[in-house]
Amino acid sequence: VWMLSTGGILACMVHKRRQVKTIPLGEGWWGAGQKSLSKDDNIYSFRVETSDKDIEDLYERIDRTRYTDPLEDSGFHYGFNSTYLKKVVSYWRHEFDWKKQVEMLNKYPHFKTKIEGLDVHFIHVRPPHRENQKVLPLMLVHGWPGCFYEFYKIIPLLTENQDGVAFEIICPSIPGYGFSEAPHKQGFDSLSAARIFLTLMERLGFSQFYLQGGDWGSLITTNMAQMKPQCVKGLHLNMFLSRRGFKVLLGLMFGRYLPFLVGLTWEDVRRLFPYFEKNVWEILRETGYLHIQATKPDTAGCGVNDSPVGLAAYILEKFSTWTDLENRALEDGGLERKFNLDELLTVIMIYWTSGSIVSSMRFYKENTKRNFDNRVDQKTGIFVPTGLAAFPNELMHCPQAWAQIRYKNIYSYTFMSRGGHFAAFEEPKLLADDILQFVKKVEKP
Amino acid sequence: MKTNPITELLSSVCRPLVPVLVQTLGTMFTEILVSLLIGGLIYFLVMRNRNQVLKTKDGWWGAGAPPDGEEDVSVRPFKISTSDEELEDLHRRLDQTRPVASLEDSQFHYGFNSQCLQKVVSYWRNDFDWRKQVDKLNQYPHFKTNIEGIDVHYMHIKPQRVPQGSAVIPLIMVHGWPGSFYEFFGIIPLLTEPSDPGDCVFEVVCPSIPGYGFSEAPHKKGFDSVCAARIFHKLMKRLGFQHFYAHGGDWGWLVTTNMAQLEPKTVRGLHVNFAPPSKPGLRVTLSIMLGRRFPKLFGFTDTDIQKLYPCKEKLVVESIKESGYMHIQATKPDTAGRGLNDSPVGLAAYILEKFSTWTSRDFRNLEDGGLTRKFSLDDLLTNIMIYWTSACIVSSMRFYKENFGKGLDQPHSRIPVVVPTGFACFPNELMHTPKLWVQQKYHKLVSYTLMARGGHFAAMEEPQLMAEDIHKFVRTVEKKTKKQ
Repeated sequence: VWMLSTGGILACMVHKRRQVKTIPLGEGWWGAGQKSLSKDDNIYSFRVETSDKDIEDLYERIDRTRYTDPLEDSGFHYGFNSTYLKKVVSYWRHEFDWKKQVEMLNKYPHFKTKIEGLDVHFIHVRPPHRENQKVLPLMLVHGWPGCFYEFYKIIPLLTENQDGVAFEIICPSIPGYGFSEAPHKQGFDSLSAARIFLTLMERLGFSQFYLQGGDWGSLITTNMAQMKPQCVKGLHLNMFLSRRGFKVLLGLMFGRYLPFLVGLTWEDVRRLFPYFEKNVWEILRETGYLHIQATKPDTAGCGVNDSPVGLAAYILEKFSTWTDLENRALEDGGLERKFNLDELLTVIMIYWTSGSIVSSMRFYKENTKRNFDNRVDQKTGIFVPTGLAAFPNELMHCPQAWAQIRYKNIYSYTFMSRGGHFAAFEEPKLLADDILQFVKKVEKP
Repeated sequence: MKTNPITELLSSVCRPLVPVLVQTLGTMFTEILVSLLIGGLIYFLVMRNRNQVLKTKDGWWGAGAPPDGEEDVSVRPFKISTSDEELEDLHRRLDQTRPVASLEDSQFHYGFNSQCLQKVVSYWRNDFDWRKQVDKLNQYPHFKTNIEGIDVHYMHIKPQRVPQGSAVIPLIMVHGWPGSFYEFFGIIPLLTEPSDPGDCVFEVVCPSIPGYGFSEAPHKKGFDSVCAARIFHKLMKRLGFQHFYAHGGDWGWLVTTNMAQLEPKTVRGLHVNFAPPSKPGLRVTLSIMLGRRFPKLFGFTDTDIQKLYPCKEKLVVESIKESGYMHIQATKPDTAGRGLNDSPVGLAAYILEKFSTWTSRDFRNLEDGGLTRKFSLDDLLTNIMIYWTSACIVSSMRFYKENFGKGLDQPHSRIPVVVPTGFACFPNELMHTPKLWVQQKYHKLVSYTLMARGGHFAAMEEPQLMAEDIHKFVRTVEKKTKKQ
């Protein structure tokens, strides 16, 4: 009887761990004022537009910029270097063609639809040839300071036929970012965004689909997989964080010298240590923006919503530093090594023309309100097939052993050879290849 | 022979013990030697710290290399001026601001409330008279002088009437961020022309920290509070002062503290209204852990207990909520200040948010942030205009990086202050410092006053109370020095 009961208890525990847990969907309404009784489920076509007046206003503000000289020999250590900023702005003022970029943005079909009181913007790209291949729906979710445009380089690689598989891409803008309406009420966090995107997929007629995300997109897609695991065939992330815990602590203590004892590989060790320097000091140095946006977003965003050059410096600093931390020592921040000015300025223009920088910052505060670790999604695991792409210059490295604490069903974990935080923008081919190999593993009968 | 009965008694007791003593000493020789050495070492270290003076080297902050030849030590009068172009440019930018509505019912919890900002901007655009304020600023004499390669701006106010037999006491007052010399406009007359005949009469020097307001910004990296302190010492010497008092709050607290550490013989007395512990030493940590249970052990009063506990909420959570600006300015000042130098509204929101929240934390619950409860819009906007017209927001933010960038374990945080100190403890200051904590660094704490009202910008908010405390402090120190 002894052994039976122990066996029974153990079996229960194992069963419970294997049992797919979900988090509640919840509900919300984010429009201005009172909730309206009428419900509009239609999907409307949308075109990105601009006008001469917009461009003139932009130029006038650029011409009125009041620069401050940088300290001698400071590179990017004090933030975006003013000398290089003048070069970027000069290009913006005299050579960048926004009208042409707008046409390019419109090459994919854009739509808007009302969900929970907000106009949600998205692009919907179908593969050009649908015969003789599996077409899998895939939603790509961006982060901050990114936008849907980050995926424009990877979309063609995903919609073309690769070994009989092609993707149908849905790429929304998080409410408060770009052309999606900003919430008018407090409390719009990643769980709310996840629920809205699930509603979007349902409205578009998809019952099962894949998800991909980095930065906030990673948290939102993870939440989506936790809310409706039966809909999410696979979850692919290029940024993922581990929970603190005993396993992590052991890893930190012994990992550098006895990695295999704590489930780490030599590559993990190379990317994680020296731990204090890489994960504590560096994080402190790079999270000032996070701290102020998570506490006073309205104040932080006010000035940059009036000053296009201020907005450019604020956002492009991240495109420099988060692509490679070594860029901080360079006078030009290494910006044009991996990106060209046209694509960077297009991202900035999306934030500028939509005036969405303040609402984009509020997302930080909404997600760090109460004790984050005690939020329901942080205490629940993720059971859908997961693919993780670990890029070498991502802000924080998370070994597979630690990711497994939360992601219970990892199908693939790849050490990527190059790339930083803006993976889809910087290394679209590498990321597309990894998404494909992951999906193939999941689709294998 | 007269023998003292006590000596007799003692010797009768000690005599048999002597051989025992000698024997023990012999065997314990090494232990005694070691303990003497250790004792000597501790004494040496303690005395070394006690008498240690902060060391510093000259610097050069101008653009490029320092020129050959004599240093320019001239003092030039300076007048603040404005122009039609400046005002037109400002008005155009105000008209073209792109406001974003705050979330419903969020008051000041997400930062500066958009409705309140609209009212401020409307006043600024239509009612605020900058020319009149410039005249007001020029009522005191302003000067500039070149020190270590940069032009340092300051006001120098001599008392108009000096009563017979009183000495005039020189006093340097240093502002902080996001303040300026203008914060002291209300208190200066109370110090240079006191109404009470028993009060001292002060001669006030009020500089702008390099990188703030009309003082030139350093062109080289590394300009921290010790450099500012050294420059201000040179300023006072250039003006002919051998001894003086110093007052400061916010960064001014650290700069004047460094001045006292650099030349303790020159600074007669130091008066501060802000003194966060620079290093959490053993005493401070113990007092946090045990202070609630054993307040008397640490000299904690009821006010101390009320302000410090529950300590996680009050010391940790509150600090995190309010230090986002400090984090970004201490790491990426050029990025943080970029947009604010183009957008006067952004600059106003950024700075005035502090004037709201740091005056009272409860103001975060108000739609209007309680801004005009303690300050007038004219005064607040004049401070903003100083940042705007001098375009100094970026260099003012760099001071945070220069001071925090090297870590918290700087030499000046380890050296105590031996100059007579007075601390004015305002109830709504950002961080409450009980007497024990202040004494950890300021070894000669002469006065510790619990002020009745006031927050972080105490000199501007409660000039009367602050002036009274300065008078009281200086009187105490002067009396003590006279006695000696």
